[in-house]
Amino acid sequence: MNSPVLTICARDTTLTGREIQGRVDRTVATLYDKDPAPPNMFITLWPITLPHDASQSGHRVDGILKYLIISTSVAFAVMAIVLLVAVIFHRGPIREAHYTHGAGLRDRLVAAAVGLLVLFGIDAVAVVRTQDDLRSGFWKYPDNDPQAVRVEVTGQQWAWTFRHPGADGVFGTRDDLVTLNELRVPLGRPVYLQLTSKDVVHSFYLPNFRNKIDAIPGAVTRLWFEPRETGVFEIACAQHCGAWHYKMRAELAVMSTAGFARWAQRAAADAPAAPPPPSDGGGVIGQVDKVDQVGKVELSDGAWTWVARP
Amino acid sequence: MTTAKQPAGGAGADLSAPPTALAAEPNGFLRRRVFSTDHKVIGRQFLWLGLVFLAVAGTLAMLMRWQVAHPGVPVPVVGAILFPATGGIVSPATYTALFTMHGTIMIFFALTPILIGGFGNFCVPLMIGARDMAFPSLNLLSFWTMFAATAVLTASFFAPLGPPAAGWTSYPTLSTAVGSPGLAQTLWVVAIYFNGASSVMGAVNYITTVIRLRAPGMTYFRMPLTVWGFWLAAMLNGLFVPVLAAGAVLLFFDRVLGTRFFTAGSTIRAGGDPILYQHLFWIFGHPEVYILILPAWGIVSDLLSFFARKPAYGYKVTVWSLIAIVILSGVVYGHHMFVTGMSPMLGESFMLLTMIISVPAVTMGVGWLGTLWRGSLRLTTPMLFSLGLVFVFGLGGFTGLFLADILADVYLHDTFFVVGHFHLTMSAAVLLGAFAATYFWFPKMFGRMMHEGLGKLHFALTLVTVIVTFGAQLLLGYAGMQRRLPDPSAYAFLRPLLPLNRLVSSAAFVMGGAQLLFVANFFFSLFWGPRAPANPWEVGTLDWTVPSPPPHHNFDEIPQVFVGPHELGNPSVKEKLGRDYLLQSEKLPA
Repeated sequence: MNSPVLTICARDTTLTGREIQGRVDRTVATLYDKDPAPPNMFITLWPITLPHDASQSGHRVDGILKYLIISTSVAFAVMAIVLLVAVIFHRGPIREAHYTHGAGLRDRLVAAAVGLLVLFGIDAVAVVRTQDDLRSGFWKYPDNDPQAVRVEVTGQQWAWTFRHPGADGVFGTRDDLVTLNELRVPLGRPVYLQLTSKDVVHSFYLPNFRNKIDAIPGAVTRLWFEPRETGVFEIACAQHCGAWHYKMRAELAVMSTAGFARWAQRAAADAPAAPPPPSDGGGVIGQVDKVDQVGKVELSDGAWTWVARP
Repeated sequence: MTTAKQPAGGAGADLSAPPTALAAEPNGFLRRRVFSTDHKVIGRQFLWLGLVFLAVAGTLAMLMRWQVAHPGVPVPVVGAILFPATGGIVSPATYTALFTMHGTIMIFFALTPILIGGFGNFCVPLMIGARDMAFPSLNLLSFWTMFAATAVLTASFFAPLGPPAAGWTSYPTLSTAVGSPGLAQTLWVVAIYFNGASSVMGAVNYITTVIRLRAPGMTYFRMPLTVWGFWLAAMLNGLFVPVLAAGAVLLFFDRVLGTRFFTAGSTIRAGGDPILYQHLFWIFGHPEVYILILPAWGIVSDLLSFFARKPAYGYKVTVWSLIAIVILSGVVYGHHMFVTGMSPMLGESFMLLTMIISVPAVTMGVGWLGTLWRGSLRLTTPMLFSLGLVFVFGLGGFTGLFLADILADVYLHDTFFVVGHFHLTMSAAVLLGAFAATYFWFPKMFGRMMHEGLGKLHFALTLVTVIVTFGAQLLLGYAGMQRRLPDPSAYAFLRPLLPLNRLVSSAAFVMGGAQLLFVANFFFSLFWGPRAPANPWEVGTLDWTVPSPPPHHNFDEIPQVFVGPHELGNPSVKEKLGRDYLLQSEKLPA
């Protein structure tokens, strides 16, 4: 929806992950060859807007931002006006200073009134609204929702890996779907992510969903959201994680229910299959130790099989 | 260790005791200029050190801004010299080193030395009527520890595998030996530790000096607000810098001795928790914001009164606001960690406490505006910078509320909104305060006046570019742009922001250029400025009752203090003395 890269994934739901990655790589290569500078800065300078809101609860964040912008702008404007009036009109040497320590009851009441105004006009409103939004939205994790799409997210320098549990709904089985830098979810169901990191602290950032959570080595964090429209959206790393932090980008494809089912079916069929043969056409790819036997994986007749060592 | 010989301060000091002999000024260049125990010399040393590193860190910022505005284009003029391997282009690895060193130097090696080290040292004893700090030798040690820290940090630029690049926060596991191999990050940790040791030595000294060495009659509520600012900042330094030092030591052990305090363990491997470091860092890190801004607030509170020619409005309310902020600052650090998955209950508590800071902050603001209101303003250069601080801090302070709010912060966290916010508050505002202090105390420090016209031009350019640079950064963050991206065009949703990024960079370049006016003014005035009288600004605090520059022992006789620091515009003083100010060491005419 934003770029040619993104629309590939959105339209063609029959592609496998590897096919998409190939196309994305090619498109990215051509995309960034172009000069990104728009001709006239003033055309795009204003208005600066929030990224498109694609989630069911993003409006809560936008609402609180709007409230804070308006309330703090009013407070700042009052301050700035008093400041400017004083600077312009209350000047020496023509004007004599009014001698006061501002320590009278009236002066203290003024200070208290302004303090209370900010406390109840801005702070309290924001805290109450936010608590409500958190408890009824952002922190109301769909733990017991059978509809929730559960995905394991692993951050690493500098990529995101996503693991769906597959048809059996259980993580760690052979029908798990694993994708790289590409998260596919169906529309109309909450998405429940469980995150961790392999190496350093990353932060999983969804600008179009107003949401963000760190991925921390040795810890599991969680985040949930529900998309309200199909499309492909950018996933960013928000926490400095090394020199190529800025390239730790992934994409979130929100698909129709049918499209997601088609993709999941295809991908599930691919998932338990053996990896493709190496270019030399055969040979041992590695040793595997099992608890009770030692053996190796060998290629024979185009399929990978387990051969126990005598 | 020689302590300054003088009666203990406070109202109970024994004035009938004969004055003790004054310590003679030492002879010899080394004892007078290099290894001096004189707070005025040490203050100037800190000031020089801070200004040099301010220039270094500012240059690093401009290199960064060039890359963001013109990704992949070689830096003009200096690029080929600085980055010969890439033909002058700032590579992603270089970019990470640039923002790491920019942040580290600005916070620990520029702003802290200029304000607390420089003006704290110079002003506190003079303003409370003391001959020196309570522990002059410790003061000497504090400066040279800081100097050692700067030497180590400078060395890290040239370490094999490149300079430190884990960010000024240096979160593990990125900052451990696995995430950041090489000597540089280890040197960074050592430099931070030495820097912290220097700060704690200073803190002990300021706290003791203010408690013990106030002149007779200088009660706590007669102290200039500048002294309050430095004193409270010293308390925060003494309490919270050791926490950072603890984090630094553990990180050092992880890197050098192979411990695993900050790397995650598993069931079969020993290990700690990367988040533990974040707690240690921000327990210090949030008070650090106030450590930087409190001196600037104090200075500006005094300067607004001095140049509005009327007493500080609601002095006691301002003092209690400062104290409330200091106390609250120790219990709000969690808002830096809202997105680490902290407990909801903890998150909500931190949100509430952080929001509450806005209350003492606005009552303090009421004091500033009340001071200006119906004043007789003299728009000198220090006054202009003070007014600039009020405006810029207002802008930055109110944007802090967005980041205190969990919901807004989850979206804005780690975006340029944060960058814009903290630059407005703890960088631009602090820097404006530091400039105000420099223009104000330069005559007392060096005995010459600075050039007013150049100063005003410097102010105008700085104020406008500060607002454009950091204000536009707020907009970038609002549009969702993350921090620390050498090339934001890696993201499609950030590509339309390039013009705004170029605006930020252009304003930053003008800001950098405008500082050359300050440098020129500083050096010109140092040698050729007109001689400063003892009290050029016509104010009443004790530092202006002694010659410019003050003698080695500051006061021939320790003054007796009768009135508060802002006895300006008093009609009965005008009537009796024919001037609109009263020295703190003068009695209010009956």
